[in-house]
Amino acid sequence: MRALAGPAMLLVVVGGFTIYKATSKDDAPSRHFAGLELAANDEDHSGTCYALSTLLIANGLFANAVHTWTAPDPDHENKWKLELERVEQGYNGPLRVFQNFTFEKSGEQVRLVSVEASDGIQTGLDWNIDQLIAAAHARGSTPVDRCLKDGGTGYKYPPGK
Amino acid sequence: MLLVACALLGGCAREVTRQQVAEFIDMADAAARKRYAPEICELRARDFRSQTTFQGHEGREPTGMEMTRKLYCQQAGQFSRLRQYRLERKSMTIDVATDRKTATVIAEYVETMPYYEQNTYVATPDDFRDFQVVESTDESVVGIEDGDLRFLSTRSDSRQSLVPKDSVQIPYD
Repeated sequence: MRALAGPAMLLVVVGGFTIYKATSKDDAPSRHFAGLELAANDEDHSGTCYALSTLLIANGLFANAVHTWTAPDPDHENKWKLELERVEQGYNGPLRVFQNFTFEKSGEQVRLVSVEASDGIQTGLDWNIDQLIAAAHARGSTPVDRCLKDGGTGYKYPPGK
Repeated sequence: MLLVACALLGGCAREVTRQQVAEFIDMADAAARKRYAPEICELRARDFRSQTTFQGHEGREPTGMEMTRKLYCQQAGQFSRLRQYRLERKSMTIDVATDRKTATVIAEYVETMPYYEQNTYVATPDDFRDFQVVESTDESVVGIEDGDLRFLSTRSDSRQSLVPKDSVQIPYD
């Protein structure tokens, strides 16, 4: 009986740790997913020349808002929803303001497939993509390798195009 | 081994008592008075939800807002910017559920803090004309998570009024 105590203890510790990791982890897309180039919403889904992670940082999307990533289908993490929320002081009192961006992997690109938001915030895909890349242009963010090469072009890239 | 298993698997089932809940609420109020976000946040369960109805001054239209724990904790962080804050608990009733796993706490509070008008430039914490007095009735469900008492949810009904700055004495802290 005593011989089983050690392995049983180990089993409890490993099991407990696994359960803890599974329940306490904050979900987020893989580095590979975040590193994919965002596609524009044009007919050809032209690349914007910026990785999704670059655009999110350039826009300071995580600066003042609480952000939560969720995979609508946990078995196929090719689609991720980013929820940004914050509280604003409105005329009548505090208000929760939110924006939900859903990104989906398509080949070696990631596409913005839907935007939901509080009243008064634009949800058009074109408008939101333009906003995302405008900030990257303004900050001179690093483009993906494809566009770093001479003559590399993309949707509204090089800036001023 | 049983103790380790309990700790790892979220704590053994325990019953809540009125005394424990009363002490827990005292602790939560003390954390709010300190305006120390990590302490305020720690007392909320992982799936904590807060639902607030806020009636602004001058009979403004009430607003409703729901917050997850994450957003609630971020707001608790903003709270720390206040330099003058008073929290008074006016009443409290504790109703322990028949299974003794949760308790419902109904408490009335009065909070007094600076009122910074919307769209005004605030250069120092003293740049305000009125204190806002927020009277709230909170209905919270308290339960056990990982062996400790936590708020599982809070529903607040708040009403705001303004009083001139010089009519209230609240020390800076």
